[in-house]
Amino acid sequence: MNKKIKGSLAVVTAAAVAFGLSSVPAASAAVKTYTIGYQGPLSGGEASTGIDEQNAVKYAIKLFEAKNKNIKIKLVSIDDQGDPAVAGTVAPGVASNKSVLGVVGPAYSGATIASLPYYKSVNMALISPSATRVSLTDPTSPDFGGPIFHRVVGKDDLQGPALAKYATAGVKDAKVFVFDDQSAYAVPLRGYVEGGLKKVAGATLVGGDSVPNTTTDFSPTIAKIKTSGATVVIYTGYYSQAAVFIKQLRDSGSKAVFAGGDGVFNQEFPKLAGAAAEGSKVTGVGGLAGISAKLEADFKKQMGVSSGVYSVESFDAANILLAGIKAGKTTRSSMLAYVKAYNGKSISGNTIKFNANGDISYGLFAGFTTKNGVLVNTGIVK
Amino acid sequence: MFAVLIDQFWSLTIAGVALGFIYVLISLGYTMVYGVLRMINFANSEIFMWGTFGTVITSRDIFNYTQTSEPATGGKLALVLVSSLLMSMLVAGLTAIFVELVAYRRLRMKGTNRLATLISAIGISIALQEVMRLLTDSRPVGSPRILEKIILTEVWGANIRLDTVITIIAAALIFFVLERFIKLSRMGKAIRAVSMNEDAAKLMGVNLNRVITTTFLVGGLATGAAGFFYITVFEYTKFNIGFTMGMAAFTAAVLGGIGNIRGAFYGGLSLGLLEVYASAVLGTQWKAVTVFIVLVLVLLFKPNGLFGEAVQTTRA
Amino acid sequence: MKIRNYWNLRDWGADIWERANRPKRVAIAVTSIILVAHLPFAGASFLATPIAAYDAVLVYPVGIFVLMALGLNIVVGKSGMLDLGYVAFFAIGAYTMAIMGTTTGLNTWEIMPFGIVFAMLAGVILGLPTLRLRGDYLAIVTLGFGEIVRLVVLNSSWSKGPNGIANVPMPPDIGPLKFKLDDQKVFFWVVIIMILLTIWMIRRLSVRRPGRAWEAIRQDEDAAELMGIATLKYKIWSFTLGAAVGGAAGVLYASKNLFIAPEMFTLNVSILILACVVFGGIGNIWGVIVGATILGYLPDRIRFISDARLLVFGIVLVVVMNFRPDGLLPRKKREKAIVKKEVNA
Repeated sequence: MNKKIKGSLAVVTAAAVAFGLSSVPAASAAVKTYTIGYQGPLSGGEASTGIDEQNAVKYAIKLFEAKNKNIKIKLVSIDDQGDPAVAGTVAPGVASNKSVLGVVGPAYSGATIASLPYYKSVNMALISPSATRVSLTDPTSPDFGGPIFHRVVGKDDLQGPALAKYATAGVKDAKVFVFDDQSAYAVPLRGYVEGGLKKVAGATLVGGDSVPNTTTDFSPTIAKIKTSGATVVIYTGYYSQAAVFIKQLRDSGSKAVFAGGDGVFNQEFPKLAGAAAEGSKVTGVGGLAGISAKLEADFKKQMGVSSGVYSVESFDAANILLAGIKAGKTTRSSMLAYVKAYNGKSISGNTIKFNANGDISYGLFAGFTTKNGVLVNTGIVK
Repeated sequence: MFAVLIDQFWSLTIAGVALGFIYVLISLGYTMVYGVLRMINFANSEIFMWGTFGTVITSRDIFNYTQTSEPATGGKLALVLVSSLLMSMLVAGLTAIFVELVAYRRLRMKGTNRLATLISAIGISIALQEVMRLLTDSRPVGSPRILEKIILTEVWGANIRLDTVITIIAAALIFFVLERFIKLSRMGKAIRAVSMNEDAAKLMGVNLNRVITTTFLVGGLATGAAGFFYITVFEYTKFNIGFTMGMAAFTAAVLGGIGNIRGAFYGGLSLGLLEVYASAVLGTQWKAVTVFIVLVLVLLFKPNGLFGEAVQTTRA
Repeated sequence: MKIRNYWNLRDWGADIWERANRPKRVAIAVTSIILVAHLPFAGASFLATPIAAYDAVLVYPVGIFVLMALGLNIVVGKSGMLDLGYVAFFAIGAYTMAIMGTTTGLNTWEIMPFGIVFAMLAGVILGLPTLRLRGDYLAIVTLGFGEIVRLVVLNSSWSKGPNGIANVPMPPDIGPLKFKLDDQKVFFWVVIIMILLTIWMIRRLSVRRPGRAWEAIRQDEDAAELMGIATLKYKIWSFTLGAAVGGAAGVLYASKNLFIAPEMFTLNVSILILACVVFGGIGNIWGVIVGATILGYLPDRIRFISDARLLVFGIVLVVVMNFRPDGLLPRKKREKAIVKKEVNA
C-alpha cells in the first residue's frame, strides 16, 4: 500500500511539474503588441536548422523593436520538428490563434505541404526562408501553396543548374558523380543538378548514390567515386554530413572537386571539415557574415551565437512581416495582400518582389569557395 | 552492378572490418546485459553517444586542440589518444551504471515484467539524448584531428591507413581482454554464473547487485571504447548518432547470437562487411533493407543467431 | 472483511462493473461514450493545448494513438509477442489511402477495406516465417520489417519517394456531419466509433477460443502447444488482427492529414505506441486507452517548455515505469501470475 501511494504521488508530482508552468504574458498599455509566428524544427534531429532560423527572426524583431518603441512583437515558436505529422497537428492550432498575423516558415517543404490546407482556410501569409521544393509554387501541382505561400529562397530548379555549372567550372570534360542524403530536400535537388549537367558542355554524369542522412561511413560511396573515375563530386544534403564525407574523401587520396548546395552552405562546414574543405565549392545565398562582418558581429552581440543556416532568408522574411505591421496591416487578409504586393530590398541588396505563384523575382545563387577555412563569396553564378 | 565491388574490393573490405570492430564493441554492451538480464539494453546507443563526447572533450577541452591545430606526434600523440580512450570508456561506463541504477535496478528487484523495463530503458535513452541535445544546442560537434591519417602502404589497390589499422588492432585487443576477463576472472565467473542461473548463483553467495552493476560497467566500457574509435575514424559526433549505430550493433548482436560474447565478435564483423558490400552493389539507400533481410533469413534457418546462445545451452 | 484498495483503480473499476446489472451497465457505457464524445467542446478549459489546436490533438495524436495502441495490445498484451514494427501496418494503410485516393477517385470509406486487407496481408506475409521466433528475436525482426516498409516507400517512385503524397482526399460528409479542417470534431467521432468497434472485437474474441489460446500462448507457449493449441495459427491471427487495426488507423490518418511522407513512419512511432501500451497497463484495454491518451496528449500540453519537452517525456516514462511497472491501470491479478516465466521465453 505504502509503495503504491508513493508511486502515485510521484506521478502526480510529475504531472504538477508539467502542468503548473503555464504563463500568460501581460501586455503593457502604452505600446501595441502584435504577434507573428516562426514555424520550423525546434526540437528533434533537425532542430539546429530551426534554431538558426528562429534566431535570425528574433534578431530582426530586436532591430525592429529598437526602431519602433511603440510596437512590441510577440513571436510564437511553432515547433513542427520538420515532420509533416507534427505540422498537421500544430498548423490548425496556429490557424485558429487569431492573433498570429503571419508566419515565417514553415522551414521544410514536407511540413509546409502538411500545413498548407489549414493556413489556406484562414488566409495566413506564409514566407518561407528555406522550403525550396519546386512544386510548392507550381500551380499545376497538388502541392501548390498559392495564394498564401511565398518564399525568399531560390527554388531547386534554379539552384540545381547553378550548382552544376559552378561545380564544373574550370574542370575540363568534367566527369561528375552526384549523390544525395535521401531527404525530401536533397533528392529533388539532385534531379535538377543532373538535369543542369546536360547543359554544361563537356560534362558527363558518371555515377550516383543515395546515402541516408544518418550515415557516417561513406566508404562505399567513395569506392564508387573511385571506380567511376569522377573528377567532380556533387552532394545535395546538409553541411554536417558533407563535412564528414569530404574528410573521408580526402583521406582516401581522392583529389576530385567537391561541391554542395545551399544545405552545405554554412560556415560550420569548413570548421567541421578543417583542411579537407579547402577549395570546396558551395552554392548559396550568402549568410549575414557574407553580407558584412559588422552585421555578423552585431548579430553575435545581440543573440549570443553566430548566425547560421538561412539566416539572411529568415531575416528578410521576418522583415517583410514586420514592415507589414508597421504599415498598419493588422489583419490576416490585409497582411496577405501586403506581402503579395511587397516590393522592397533584401538585406543582401536584391529586390524582393513576389510573382503570382509566390516566388521571388531574383532567386540568383552565389558561388562560394572555401579558402583558409572560410566560405568566400565568388559572385553570382551566371 | 558488381564493378565497384570488384574494383574496390580490398578498400571496401578494410573499411568494413574497421566499421565491424566498432560494431563488435558496441554490441558487447547489448550482449553482456542480455546475457545476464535477458533484456535489451535499449539505452546502449545513447551510452555510445555519450562515449563519443568523452573523446571530444579530452582532445578539445583538456588538451586544447582545435580544428586547425596540427595533429599530434610522438609521445604527445600516445598520451592524447590513450587519455581520450580512457575518458570515453569512463564516461560511457559511468553512464551505463547510471542507466542501470535509474532504469533497471528498482524494476529488477521487484521482479516485474520485461516490457516495463524496456519502456523504462527507452525513457532513459530519450532523456540521455535530450540532455546532450540541449547541451550541444542540437549542433553537430567536430572533433579535432589528433591522429594524422597517414597511408601506410597500398595492398591490392587499397590504401592501408594508420587510423584503420589502429582501430582494428586496438579494438581486437580490447575485445580479447574483456573476453578473457569474463572467462577467467572471479567477477567474470560470477557474471557467467548469474547468466546461467540467477537463483543458484545467489545461493552460492554471489552478490547479485554487484555482478549486474559490473556487467553494465563492462558493457559500457566496451561501448565507450567504440565511441573513441568512432571519433578517431569519423571525427564527428552529434546527439542523435547513437540510434543508427546502436541499431546496427544490436542487429549484429542478434546476428551472432545475442548473449554470446563470441557471437558479438562474428556478428559485428559480418555486419560491417555486409553493410559496405551491400552499399557498393545495391546503392547505400538499400543498405538497411539488405541488412534486415539477411537478418530475417539467418534467423529463419538458425533461430538463435549464427553462433547460437552459448549461454543458454549451459543454462538449466 | 476485505479492505478496498482505492489505489488499484483497475480492480475498483472492475468491481463496480461486476456488481452492476445489465441496465446499469448499459447506462454506464452510454454515459461514458457521451462524455468522451463531448471532449472536443472542452477546448476552453485547462485541457487546452498551447500552439497546437486542441480538437486536432484529440484526433491525432490522441485518438489515433488509442486506436493503434489497442491494435498493438492484441499482439503484445494478449498474446505476449513483442512487436517493434507496428508502424509498418499504419504506413501500409496510410499509403493505400493516399495512392488509391489520389488515383482511383474512391472515397475514404471505400478504400478502408483495401487498407485493412493490405495491412492484414502484410501481417500474414511477415508472420508466417517469423512468428516461430521468440522474444527478442521476434522484436528485432519486426523492427526490421517496419524499417523495410519505410525504406521501400522512400526509395520507390510509385510512392513519390521522399516527396510524399499531397492532396489526399478528405472523407465524404456523413449526412449533416461535415469533415472540416478548422474543426475536427467529426474526425474525432469517427475515431471513437473505430475505437469502439475495436474494443468490441477484442472483448468478443477474448472470451472465445482465440482469446483463450492467446492467453495460453502468452503464459507458456510450450505448454499451450502440448495442449494441442495450434500456436502458430493463433499467433498469426493475433498478428493480422493487430495489423488490421493499424491499417484502418493509417487510412483514416492519411485522410485527415491530407499529406503523407515516409519520414512520418519511423521506428519512433512503433516505440511510442508500444510505450502507450506498457505505460497504461499492458493487456488491459482501459489501461491502454489511458496510456495512449496521456502519452499522445502530454507532449502537446507541455509545449510551453518547448525545448525540454522530450526530456520531460523521457523522465515521465522512467518514473512511471519504476513506480507502476504494470502500468497505470494494470490487468487483473489473476492474469499476470506468470511474470517470472516470461523471462525464459
